[in-house]
Amino acid sequence: MPLRFVNMIKLTIDHIPVEVQEGITVMEAAATLGISIPSMCFHPGFSNHPSCMVCIVKDTARDNFVPSCALPVSEGMNILTGTEEVRKARKEALELLLSDHIGDCEAPCRLSCPAFMDIPLMNRLIATGDFHQALHIVREEIALPLILGYICPAPCEKACKRKPIDAAVSICLLKRATAQYQDRADSIVPDLIKGNGKRVAIVGTGPAGLSAAFWLLRTGHACVLFDQHEKAGGALRYSISEERLPKEMLDAEINTIRDMGAEFHLNIPINKDFFQHEILSGFDAVILATGNLTSTLADAFGIQPDSTGSFINKRDFTTSLAGVFACGNIIREQKMAVHSVAQGKMAAMQVGVYLGTSVGKMEQDESDNAANMQADREARNRNPVSMTGHLFEQEWAEYMKDSIPDPRLEPMGGILEGFTREEAMHEAKRCLHCDCRKPVSCKLRLYAGEYGANRKRYAGSERKRLTRSINHEQVVYETEKCIRCGLCVEITEKHGEMIGLTFAGRGFDVHIAVPFNETVREALTVTAWECVEACPTGALAYKTKEERDK
Amino acid sequence: MGISNTNITEKIDLIIARHGTTVDAVIPILQDIQAEFNYLPEPALKRVCDITDISPARISGISTFYNQFRQRPAGRHRIRVCTGTACHVKGALFVYEAFRREMKLEEGEDTDASLIFTIEKAACLGCCTLAPVVRIDEVTYGHVKPDSVGDLLHDFLSKMKEAPSDIYQDNSPQSAFQGEIRIGLGSCCVASGSYEVKAELERTLAQAKIRVDVQQVGCVGICNLVPIMEILKPGELPAYYAKIKPEEVKEVLLSHFKPEGKYNRLRNGFYNLFEKLLANGAPKSFRKYMGEQRDTPLSKFLGPQVNIATENRGVINPIDIQGYRQAGGFGSLKKCLSEMTPQQVVDEIRESGLRGRGGAGFPTGLKWQLVKDQDVPEKFVICNGDEGDPGAFMDRMLLESYPFRIIEGMLIAGYATGAAHGIFYIRAEYPLAVMRISEAIRICRENGILGTSILNSGFSFDVSVFKGAGAFVCGEETALIASMEGNRGLPRMRPPYPAFRGFRGQPTLINNTETLSLVPWILHHGAIAFSKIGTSGSKGTKVFALAGKVKRGGLIEVPMGITIRQIVEEIGGGIAGDRQFKAVQIGGPSGGCLPASAADMQIDFEALKAAGTMMGSGGLIVLDESDCMVDIACYFLSFTQNQSCGRCTFCRIGTRRMLEILTKIRSGKGTDEDLNTLESLAVSTTRGSLCGLGKTAPNPVLTTLHYFRAEYESHLRGQCPAGKCLPLIHYEVTEECIGCTKCAQRCPSDAITFKPYEVHSIDLEKCIKCDICRQICPVNAITVR
Repeated sequence: MPLRFVNMIKLTIDHIPVEVQEGITVMEAAATLGISIPSMCFHPGFSNHPSCMVCIVKDTARDNFVPSCALPVSEGMNILTGTEEVRKARKEALELLLSDHIGDCEAPCRLSCPAFMDIPLMNRLIATGDFHQALHIVREEIALPLILGYICPAPCEKACKRKPIDAAVSICLLKRATAQYQDRADSIVPDLIKGNGKRVAIVGTGPAGLSAAFWLLRTGHACVLFDQHEKAGGALRYSISEERLPKEMLDAEINTIRDMGAEFHLNIPINKDFFQHEILSGFDAVILATGNLTSTLADAFGIQPDSTGSFINKRDFTTSLAGVFACGNIIREQKMAVHSVAQGKMAAMQVGVYLGTSVGKMEQDESDNAANMQADREARNRNPVSMTGHLFEQEWAEYMKDSIPDPRLEPMGGILEGFTREEAMHEAKRCLHCDCRKPVSCKLRLYAGEYGANRKRYAGSERKRLTRSINHEQVVYETEKCIRCGLCVEITEKHGEMIGLTFAGRGFDVHIAVPFNETVREALTVTAWECVEACPTGALAYKTKEERDK
Repeated sequence: MGISNTNITEKIDLIIARHGTTVDAVIPILQDIQAEFNYLPEPALKRVCDITDISPARISGISTFYNQFRQRPAGRHRIRVCTGTACHVKGALFVYEAFRREMKLEEGEDTDASLIFTIEKAACLGCCTLAPVVRIDEVTYGHVKPDSVGDLLHDFLSKMKEAPSDIYQDNSPQSAFQGEIRIGLGSCCVASGSYEVKAELERTLAQAKIRVDVQQVGCVGICNLVPIMEILKPGELPAYYAKIKPEEVKEVLLSHFKPEGKYNRLRNGFYNLFEKLLANGAPKSFRKYMGEQRDTPLSKFLGPQVNIATENRGVINPIDIQGYRQAGGFGSLKKCLSEMTPQQVVDEIRESGLRGRGGAGFPTGLKWQLVKDQDVPEKFVICNGDEGDPGAFMDRMLLESYPFRIIEGMLIAGYATGAAHGIFYIRAEYPLAVMRISEAIRICRENGILGTSILNSGFSFDVSVFKGAGAFVCGEETALIASMEGNRGLPRMRPPYPAFRGFRGQPTLINNTETLSLVPWILHHGAIAFSKIGTSGSKGTKVFALAGKVKRGGLIEVPMGITIRQIVEEIGGGIAGDRQFKAVQIGGPSGGCLPASAADMQIDFEALKAAGTMMGSGGLIVLDESDCMVDIACYFLSFTQNQSCGRCTFCRIGTRRMLEILTKIRSGKGTDEDLNTLESLAVSTTRGSLCGLGKTAPNPVLTTLHYFRAEYESHLRGQCPAGKCLPLIHYEVTEECIGCTKCAQRCPSDAITFKPYEVHSIDLEKCIKCDICRQICPVNAITVR
């Protein structure tokens, strides 16, 4: 055999000259420079037939836009991968895909919850009887599930997609049930991480203060809560009647926080002197959760208004004093306690950023921008890239496949008594599982978020009707979440599935279908895993796996 | 349906025996199943999967991709309403809707309850001058009116009952030929009744014992005057009889030729008839033009044309190989094989400046060189005859009329590039083209023009025919190859270009039909002669289908560099009626609209591109003031949107969203923001689509936005100046009404209240805007506001 020399190609990527082997793609060439290009339909080892066009780059040598995942390098190319123009083209591709992507990144109940609590996941855990894990999920966002389980006006239930079908899932009572039905007495107190030596003072013991304390304690801080009243609880104790919220329940949840290590200093009027000498000098950080902050009080504490006249930055909860934060009604009069609970958590997280004691994902963001990045991420989660809106009547049956047809359950013992364990498990099964099964790995969500794609920009005149196929043991297939990349078709073909999947139709109506009207169960006998892994969206997803990993 | 499974099994096994069991046989197999059952029964498809390499996924994917295939049983007769551009501007949608009403179809249905008729829209039936056109099975109806569709269906069904009449033929070789009669049998001629004329001609000739050579010739191009009969008699100028009817044939014939003496009685009978006709002064529908006569519509129509691809138009019988040879046919092939090296042939083509006639205008010589330079034993030449534009039928006409010329062009291309296999890719909707090419191939093989060692040169080449199953996108070369390989017609990323990796992974030359048909002329007359015609960058001629609002439409071949105005005014005779010339649409769905003010532009690849349109495959539709440019943009976009393969994001979703915005604008609900979104999305789709279909689909939108933006803005204000956009118009009865009740009788929705002899009125609530009243009113008392 004669020696074969590999031809080398010279090109420029983002103004950097590079020499690469002939035959590789522009995307691969960019990777050699550490430049990563987003793509949804690209999958190593497959036919590489570009369809999503999210990997688009500009070749200024030829003045055209090309899909980098499939275009082989050629001599003299001058590729730009990250200019405003290129980003705009990608954003447009994503916006077009979004306009034809029917599904919800997050369930409407969660989106309408001021605390962004993962309600559908809670429901699914309750349905299986796993109250322990359900409580854990609830307290990721809501520190006071028992209290809110009595008093929350439940905006989530107004948004529930089950509501027009018969009646909303009884979410508020289910949340209460997570706190009611713990197998072991000590399971009420969550696991805490090792103490980090930082001490935080929290002024005020209403929902915002308690919530902030809960989160700070969990993440290893020492907390001292101050209140001018005789008992802790703030507005929860002094503005809500026994008929709505039994004091016994309030005390129980305050005790949980005490059991987590919180010190309560009650009956202490918080004046200028006390604030300056006891609080400011004695703690590493302070959270003001006093319900209101008059200019006299602010002045007394030494807090200066900002350019807009506001004492508190509503974005990161800081004040003019370093290390002093504020949350709850002190920011704005809230009608719902759940708002204050949500802010308590967010203020606590900002304290973590300030003290350098953040845990989990927060640890990775060590830059000065950590707070802003966190805020961005929160905002992005709360503004999901895809939302379906109301269901059409013919879609009800599709969603009911994941549910039970029974009517909304009213607790036998009355509202104050709440659900029994069994009632809760039954009611939770009514949830329709509106949320995406691939909240983490969906590339459309990832890139659309990253590029700020607006799902409404190219919204069609009428959206397609969604369908849901659940007859496969492990896999759910939702046609209208598909971006028509065809990876699954190729995978089933490669593995010689007897039935497999195919493209059906043409043009805008093209979709992935099972030949001869067979079911997904017949189509994916050995390739379910590979298809789900390759699918860039939630169109093909495991029934359960990803949410457990979340 | 009463099809038993064993019956199916037997039939399918026979079909598979014909086509083999490999995956690339899937389209021919499906075509045969469809021909057998009128649709694709699922048990049949399953049987195919059982005994071939074709998987369920493949067969399902293919059968739902191509237009030709049906998943549901069809009616016994197929109604195809032409919605080509010319028909569109002449109200084809009114006709289509009228049929649907007549058939009582609900939305989503295409077949009537008794399974008699199935209706569909056809991209173009190629009878633009007879617009609007409807074809039921093989019977074509021209100038169809919405109010007459019921009569038309009855007419069709009653004709079905009649047994075909035998034509008496006399083949006795007794006396000398007195002359020659040529009659055009292109699809449009046939549609206008040329078969009936021919039958009558043969009957008369036989009865009167007149010895005349009757030549069937291909498309004569003068579609506006068909059926047309040309009489050539020694010592006389050629005489053309335009728009002749069967009942007029005898008269015409006997004015030129004398029956044999011993048939005097018969002759006298004829003469009597003739005399009677003359005496009566009965109005004659035909028009007679003498050859070489100046200033006739015929000479004006033909005058500025240059015939290269259509050389010997109207003279030779399409499948008469002797005739083709006598006219110099295969001379170029012989010259190449005996006197030139392949490189010399490639050089000649390159020097001629020939560029691809499929639309994009890639230099043909360069393409040939690329394929020639590939050092591999197996290469292919493909003739791309997958024409599918609305309003374009050049390729079909060339394939039907000049099969030998195209085969010769392909042979020369094969010789030059070193290929031994040629494939004609012709869409199955062109049965006559498929038949003619197949017949011509057979004749060529018999005559040593195809096969091993052609003309004893040592060069071997053979060709086959692949019937495209109907997908506009398959005109794109990589999609065409995909479909030939038994796949859905999806374009793929280029490079690699087919010249390097094409059919079956081998270097493949793909040339458009018209391109190949120009090749023999170039080799015969030389590169210089060809390059003398045209502009600096665009050489030679271009065939256009001229239609729309001109007086004289038809198939024309004009030199590059001719101006649009010359085409419209000289060849086309200007705008019909008293209306104003508004715009031309050039290049079909990939092209764009140029305003009348740009009519002095020369036809040239670069000039058209600079103006935002393109040569395309050669549709040239003339529009007048009554045409709405938003409607035209919407019309073309709905075609490309429907024909998108659905693969890449911008084409699949982008064209759809553009169409939705256009529809919104046409309904008067559009906003300024919609107009901006439309424009930016059009630009993005051009930029971000993978193949030519998506990249050019926005052209009709972009050009109309550029040249006719004010018209879009009128729509934003709720007005359609041309009165075409249904949601923005309503019908009214004017004071001219004479109270004849005709409209009221024909109104399908009982929207017209009337008292005889009083002015009628239209109930706008009930009116479905079917246009019937306006068309039927004898005094033009119905107006559109």
